[in-house]
Amino acid sequence: MDGLDGRVTRGGMVRMAAGAGTVVAGGAALARLGGAVSEAAPSAAQDARLLNVFLLLERLQQRFYAGALERGALRGGLLAFAAKAERQESAHVRRLAARLDGGADPAPDADFTAATSSPERFGRAATELEEAALGAYIAHSAALTREAVAAVVPILSVEARQAAWIRDLAGADPAPRAADPPRDAQDVLDGLRAKELLR
Amino acid sequence: MTGPAFRDIDRDDALGEAVERLYGCTRAGLLRRAAFGGAAALLATLARPAAAPAAITDVEVLRFGLRFEQLQATFYTQAEELGTIGAMPPAERRWAQTLGAHERAHVKIIKEVLGPKAEPAPAFDFGEANETPAAFTRTAVAMEDLTVALLGGVTPRVQDRGLTAALLGLLTVEARHAAWARHIAGADPAPRPEDEPMALADVQAAVDRTHFVVERPRMGGRAAPPFTG
Repeated sequence: MDGLDGRVTRGGMVRMAAGAGTVVAGGAALARLGGAVSEAAPSAAQDARLLNVFLLLERLQQRFYAGALERGALRGGLLAFAAKAERQESAHVRRLAARLDGGADPAPDADFTAATSSPERFGRAATELEEAALGAYIAHSAALTREAVAAVVPILSVEARQAAWIRDLAGADPAPRAADPPRDAQDVLDGLRAKELLR
Repeated sequence: MTGPAFRDIDRDDALGEAVERLYGCTRAGLLRRAAFGGAAALLATLARPAAAPAAITDVEVLRFGLRFEQLQATFYTQAEELGTIGAMPPAERRWAQTLGAHERAHVKIIKEVLGPKAEPAPAFDFGEANETPAAFTRTAVAMEDLTVALLGGVTPRVQDRGLTAALLGLLTVEARHAAWARHIAGADPAPRPEDEPMALADVQAAVDRTHFVVERPRMGGRAAPPFTG
């Protein structure tokens, strides 16, 4: 525990994650946090790998919102949200792609025809995509180089704002836990495939 | 009871430009909506470019974080005890109660991490900022936005990776709070594609300007002493 001069214990840190998770949601977050911090030391190669995961999730969201706007099934608050989120995800895609400097993976393949067919389906899919991105950012951002963490954090908090906003619009609790759990990127992507939000 | 006059809070008249730059709405629009107020002093600082932060240890970050969470937790707890939250409509009451519960949980968590290094909470005096639903809501919006800026600023700078990971999960909850509060207040929940980070010293300056943190309880004008998180 170099950064804390031994004065704050690893046990305390683990309790921080555990406490955060158990206050409302149980201990699953703790196990995940362990996974998040056990990644290899930061490197340019690791940055490229992780930033590509984040880029994939941002591209997926941007295409989903663009598809929903084209589809025209949204009105009122949901429409305003989709328009704003589409612009913000576009900005995030540009920022991450620029940071990857030519090393960006190809765009993911997805079909959002069903997910944008009604306001209800849109609300569910948007929540799913926002929470997926959040969980992956939380799980893996700490394994980035310091500069990349600084680049990602201002994006991450906007993802959280979007998640709360769509949950509020969809009638769900905007902030269901005192601390958000990390989610392993592979689980996140598998989950999106299972819900047919990613091919 | 009416909320505090805007001028009483925005003492240095610094809010206008700051909010306009940050949130793309005019001071006039803001005042019409009365979405912010005790908020003013907090928000004003958000627009200042972050100065190059001095080196700071993780313990200092956690101690500051603890003080800030105590400030928030006390603000919400006191609003509950004063009946301010009870006077709100059900959806807003649920919002206010949830935020209070989360901030109290954050205090507990950070205290536990710091262990014997945790410092006692200072005394807080929020004046009228949590005595009416309107004043409470606009101050909550500013506080939550400020917390996002604070955690956005310190999280990339902490040395310990476990602490970075843990702070990320608190940052996203504070950002959820900010968006929810803004939605309740009729403001844009996600005003910019990226949130502006703030250096710790700038957050401290913003808090100082609110005079919410007091050395000694304010005497008179209120039966109960200020709460201490």
